Amino acid sequence: MMTEMLIPLLTAAVQSGTPILFATLGEMFTERAGVLNLGVEGMMIVGALAAFLVSLATGNPWLGVLAAGCAAAALGALHGLVCLSFLGNQVVSGLALTILGVGLANYLGTPYIGKQAPGFYAFDLPFLSTLPFVGKIFFKHDALVYLSYVMPLAFWFFWHRTRTGLALTAAGEYPPAASAAGLNPVRLRWLGILGGGFLVGIGGAYLSLAYTHLWTNGMTAGRGWIAVALVIFAFWRPGRAVFGAYLFGGVMAFQLRLQASGTQVPSSFLLMLPYGLTIAALLFSALRGRGGSSSSAPAALGVNIEPEQ
Amino acid sequence: MTTASTATPPVVQLEAISKSFGPIKANQDISLDIHAGKVLALLGENGAGKSTLMNMLSGVYPPDSGRILIDGAEVHFVSPRDAIDAGIGMVYQHFKLVNSMTVAQNVLLGQEGSFIIRPREMEARVGELAKRYGLGIDPATRVSTLSMGERQRVEILKLLYRDSRVLIFDEPTAVLTPGETEHLFLALKQMTSLGKAIVFISHKLKEVLQVSDSVAILRRGEIVGNTPRNQITSSADLAKRMVGREVLQEIERGEVIKKEPVLQLQNLCGNGLDNLNISLRKGEIIAVVGVGGNGQQELVNVVTGAMAPGEGSVQLLGRDWKQFYKRPSWRDTIAHIPEDRLGMATCPELDLTDNVLLTTRQGFAPKLFLNRTLALDVTKTIIRRFHVACPGPQAHARQLSGGNLQKLVLGREFFRRPQIIVAEQPSQGLDISATEEVWHRLLNARTTAGVLLITGDLNEALQLADRIAVMYKGRFMDVFDASDEKKIASIGLMMAGVSP
Repeated sequence: MMTEMLIPLLTAAVQSGTPILFATLGEMFTERAGVLNLGVEGMMIVGALAAFLVSLATGNPWLGVLAAGCAAAALGALHGLVCLSFLGNQVVSGLALTILGVGLANYLGTPYIGKQAPGFYAFDLPFLSTLPFVGKIFFKHDALVYLSYVMPLAFWFFWHRTRTGLALTAAGEYPPAASAAGLNPVRLRWLGILGGGFLVGIGGAYLSLAYTHLWTNGMTAGRGWIAVALVIFAFWRPGRAVFGAYLFGGVMAFQLRLQASGTQVPSSFLLMLPYGLTIAALLFSALRGRGGSSSSAPAALGVNIEPEQ
Repeated sequence: MTTASTATPPVVQLEAISKSFGPIKANQDISLDIHAGKVLALLGENGAGKSTLMNMLSGVYPPDSGRILIDGAEVHFVSPRDAIDAGIGMVYQHFKLVNSMTVAQNVLLGQEGSFIIRPREMEARVGELAKRYGLGIDPATRVSTLSMGERQRVEILKLLYRDSRVLIFDEPTAVLTPGETEHLFLALKQMTSLGKAIVFISHKLKEVLQVSDSVAILRRGEIVGNTPRNQITSSADLAKRMVGREVLQEIERGEVIKKEPVLQLQNLCGNGLDNLNISLRKGEIIAVVGVGGNGQQELVNVVTGAMAPGEGSVQLLGRDWKQFYKRPSWRDTIAHIPEDRLGMATCPELDLTDNVLLTTRQGFAPKLFLNRTLALDVTKTIIRRFHVACPGPQAHARQLSGGNLQKLVLGREFFRRPQIIVAEQPSQGLDISATEEVWHRLLNARTTAGVLLITGDLNEALQLADRIAVMYKGRFMDVFDASDEKKIASIGLMMAGVSP
């Protein structure tokens, strides 16, 4: 009885957690290079629209995903231009990016509201989906979800076992050390912004091509902001990002179910749940971080690189 | 210069290097040879030009004239990168390390052989290198958990891994404990025995004697001595050479009658200070001399109210520290001339009027609003009276040269009619005429104030002070009259912590 109720909920948690996971990993990628980008929400929704339009036009959702990544990265490039080239304030630039992205997507997307585009559909992974319990929760999804399973591992490997990952970390921790080692921290931060932006875009694509197959204005509904908070909650570690993303996905799925079950609790309160949880999560990480876990946030996060002399 | 005491040709030759910053001649006609397998010590006070010289050698900026030769061939460095590629590496005082990474990752950053890195292999390689040079360190630990001495070893390993042949150490022992210092010296021996050339920049006499093969002394941008170690008999001998006795600049002191005490320290302890006793009277200048980092900063912080005194008593103008700083009046009390001119003394992005207002604004705000017209007039007066060369009061502080900025700061602080003046390195980095002007102003200020002068320039201390206090490890080694020739001769020793 219990598992019968739990399995659909957890399956839904994975599904609604996936776009958040992509966005969180994307923002984490950018932040670990030392750039704070609060434009995730804007990049995500522009990615969602780009994915939808390209998939609609070409009939190939994978091209849609590619377009989403490129569109979000292009928007991120604006952030790079402001912060890396002109040493502008990263917080202000990121906020502006969100406003721009959301506005742009609404403006360009309005004619397509309610239209349907070819997207991703769930299929069972052979063998794995037959596993008891976990098979049903994790291995009856679409291709993007399966892709998202690989990402945290790939990221861990990238940051800890590759030359570029190490260099990127140095650019986020202490740019002078990177310079002294003959690396170009500004170029590395560009990589952080563009690479992270691409991933955020895939998160957006998931919303318009897999989670739904239609376009509605404002479809990210604050998921970009949740991703920003999750990066902090996850202490900039990909493993914890997975946990956080599914936790939030679970809360989102749970409140939908609760609404559908006709509970007495006003729906506005239920809709608030994920955002309330965001605040709780940030509080939790602030309290945990107070003990002096200095190795969590990149030391040079949000600090621009001044040209030498 | 040193004659060919070594048969091998020098790795690096500096030939007649000169460098000026505006009117200040930071380096004049400097020639030096750096030999493989030898430690060359570069000795000199703050602002003597050591850093300038080494910055040119490590490619930070080019010399105005003169040549740098490596293995006999002239080189032109455009960036530090070029110098590193030529085998010249510098261990800076401020480490350039990523704290969240391991020792091995820091050493190999930017030097990894392949895209995928294998931590075990990296650590083994770095561990082996560390062992060869006697730099005991675990390559797998994170830098954030290391002591300063260990972090320095990581910096050294970075250079060794890049096959640097010349290693420049900028005040390497400043951050080390005595034990770590010994460790470093052993490693230096090991490095020279393996053919590395070492340049050891310091102003600590004992250390220089302990590690060097030859000692070059820099004073006011010039080499005033370059001696093989075995010709130096003792640290007193070296101190004499460093301090010199020829007076570079003379100034008419004039006599001022000494009046009541304005600043009294009694058994002041805490914050790294060790039982300080002194009484500064109106009409006199006390110079606190010593190697930087021996408690001068803490002393200034306590006296200027930035830091509460630990134990003991501090009396300012007859009042207890706590009482005095409860509601300090902007006028008729204390003025501070900080060492950090563009940052602590002034705001680079504010205009001169606003900079004058920084410490005097209470005088221009009778009610709620600032009287800016009056402030502008006062600024103009300061500019005229103190000969501040500037486009006008609307100029930004960053546009002014060091000397003019210092004159503005002096003008501002004297406008407050202080009875206590704390001046830190007031002539550092100034040219001769600006230095003289600053000195005159300080001497004249004696008529209305007592001056506590913190300086690393012995000549300045001897020129200005009535009494001299030598500071070492937070305590006064001695406080004596500036006419006491015998004591003056042993200042160098006292600065090195030796009681004569």
